[in-house]
Amino acid sequence: MIAVKPCIEADLLIVGGGIGGLMAAISAAKSGCTNVVVMEKMHARRSGSGATGNDHFNCYIPSYHGDDIRPVFQQTMQSLIGSGKEPSLMYKFLKKSFELVQMWDEWGVNMRPTGQWECKGHALPGKPRAFLKYDGSEQKKVLVREAKKLGVHFYNHHPVVELARMDGRIAGALAVDISTPVPQFQPVRAKTVLLATGLTHRLYLTAPTPAYMFNTGHCPNCAGGQGLGWRVGARMVNMELPYTHAGPKYFARCGKATWIGVYRYMDGTPVGPFTDHSNIDYGDVTSDIWNSVFEDVMAKGTGPAFMDCSDASDKDLEYMRWAMKGEGLTSLLNYMADAGIDPKQHAVEFMRYEPILHGRGLDVSDEGETSVPGLFAAGDMVGNGGCGIALAAYLGWEGGHAAALQAAEHSFRPAEDCPNIKARMELLSSFLEREDGADWKDANMALQQIMSDYAPAGPRKVRSERLLQTGLIYVRQLRENAMKQLKVTCSHTLMRAAEVLDLMDCGEALLAAALARKETRGNHIRADFPFTNPLLGDQFLTVGLESNGEVTTKWRPIRQAQMD
Amino acid sequence: MPPVIDHEKCIGCGTCADICNSDIFVFDRKVDKTPVVKFPEECWHCESCVLDCPSGAITLRLPLSYSLMHIDASLLHSSQTPCSASSKEARS
Ligand SMILES: Cc1cc2nc3c(=O)[nH]c(=O)nc-3n(C[C@H](O)[C@H](O)[C@H](O)COP(=O)(O)OP(=O)(O)OC[C@H]3O[C@@H](n4cnc5c(N)ncnc54)[C@H](O)[C@@H]3O)c2cc1C
Ligand code: SF4
Ligand code: SF4
Repeated sequence: MIAVKPCIEADLLIVGGGIGGLMAAISAAKSGCTNVVVMEKMHARRSGSGATGNDHFNCYIPSYHGDDIRPVFQQTMQSLIGSGKEPSLMYKFLKKSFELVQMWDEWGVNMRPTGQWECKGHALPGKPRAFLKYDGSEQKKVLVREAKKLGVHFYNHHPVVELARMDGRIAGALAVDISTPVPQFQPVRAKTVLLATGLTHRLYLTAPTPAYMFNTGHCPNCAGGQGLGWRVGARMVNMELPYTHAGPKYFARCGKATWIGVYRYMDGTPVGPFTDHSNIDYGDVTSDIWNSVFEDVMAKGTGPAFMDCSDASDKDLEYMRWAMKGEGLTSLLNYMADAGIDPKQHAVEFMRYEPILHGRGLDVSDEGETSVPGLFAAGDMVGNGGCGIALAAYLGWEGGHAAALQAAEHSFRPAEDCPNIKARMELLSSFLEREDGADWKDANMALQQIMSDYAPAGPRKVRSERLLQTGLIYVRQLRENAMKQLKVTCSHTLMRAAEVLDLMDCGEALLAAALARKETRGNHIRADFPFTNPLLGDQFLTVGLESNGEVTTKWRPIRQAQMD
Repeated sequence: MPPVIDHEKCIGCGTCADICNSDIFVFDRKVDKTPVVKFPEECWHCESCVLDCPSGAITLRLPLSYSLMHIDASLLHSSQTPCSASSKEARS
């Protein structure tokens, strides 16, 4: 059995030291919580999708946008982060967003590089621009520093592998100390827990390079965190609606709105209707609106489509390079410089990436609490209010505050004695003790194959009752086999094996939800229900694992915004 | 594959191994002077290690399969068909 370290206690345990987790830590500490613990799988200073920067912060700034928030709210809901989100939560977020921006500004994130509040990119021509252009290259260092100033305890190299629930309420978690090659279990008793593990990659075959599963647009180590909530019964939402991102081909990297150019066909004609020349303020929003554009043009034979920046002025291109640094794209810039790829002279082909769980996952209240009392969630892993940096900051802030208040009312319980915690310890220990067995990559790829074949994203590929049912059977078979066969050799591979088990739970939740959505919506194309049912337009579908092991789906009304 | 450490420049501080976004290094100070790239295929190419290395000892090498597909932008703005242009280029 893997050695077990003495249990530690946390008033608020935060799982994931990314943007949402760090904001939750700061907010809870400022709300009077004195024992805030962040458990981070890697190292909070450089972990997650915001590791090296971001540059678009969705927000409403009265002095910039004017007194009426509604047009900005409308643009936000139509943007790539707003679709499918809970309007009540989104409205509260937007109202709070400038406060968050000002905090970051005060702490030292470069929120107004030109000295002014300026919004650029991800915007429809002539419409209000809802994304503040900032330089996020130092954001993680700044947030970690702020949290440390307030006495937040950091445990880097501590992935959480299971949560504990007692008498209905969250009670703690099990982490693994992977800071040395020999793993050790670290049980935690916690009065409240906030999950902020980011989005989920590695569920589907990687579109640019199927043989390389870490070639992903966002952080590939964010993989399966929704599964932690799932296993203790937290309900999930929007799991069945595929989200895909796009970017350069074949080096997968987000940040498409930072490119100042026009998507063009080979003959020079623009692919989308929004612009025919480079525009520093609006960019080319085509792929935000037409999600599958790069795949569609290939399938029609009219493609490929290229990002053409060659008509941009030297000044604009210099600005683009500067913005790419703020966006954390130095590896892309350095690669292009080394390979002699110059945006003034070369057009780079773009492609659609594989489906990811981005803004698909835990169903939360407007304050970030899940259906499990005491368990909160923030960031990309949230199904009804996650996607992007600003929402992660908002729900981290709100959830951290609400969790701090709750923690004051509750006491510690022996989470380490929960049967599921003990069972996970035994299971993971068995992987290390096994003499011979399967590699975690085998299991991960097997899952990717099944998900890509049986629950693919539209518009060209379809789902149906038969495909999804079969997929469910296969994922369950795979999980059973993986539990019996996985073998790990060290802390690192143990962490990966635990991720794969989380990913399988995400796969199961997605398949079950996709079965229950008996209609076609967005890129969830049901061959057996080829229409969009207007009666379902004002409802969300949630999926959850009951304590008896049964998977249930339920419809609930979407909470509308209460405008002032 | 992924990060390449210049052993001459590395001062063995361990920063890269500590902050790596994908936990791909192993650094056993008792055995090695420089962290070892143990899981290269799991590198995200985020460049955190390059940015934080105090002695500029790390460079990234992208796998060939990650190469950026690109063409000469002038082809998009000329009446030439790209195929005829590129075959001409290839012959010259
Ligand atoms: C290149 C790039 C550019 C981007 N640009 C923008 C932009 O301009 N605007 C925008 O809005 N968004 C942008 N994004 C997306 C943005 O970075 C994310 O939406 C944001 O970081 C989400 O915050 P989060 O807290 O949900 O997740 P993350 O910041 O990804 O953090 C999740 C953390 O959880 C940790 N973790 C995962 N599982 C576990 C576990 N089991 N135990 C412990 N820790 C765990 C991870 O290591 C990670 O540190 C960009 C992303 C990329 C990659
Ligand atoms: S960060 Fe640089 S100097 Fe430090 S161990 Fe790594 S390569 Fe060597
Ligand atoms: S580029 Fe990122 S993932 Fe790769 S070794 Fe460096 S820090 Fe780790």
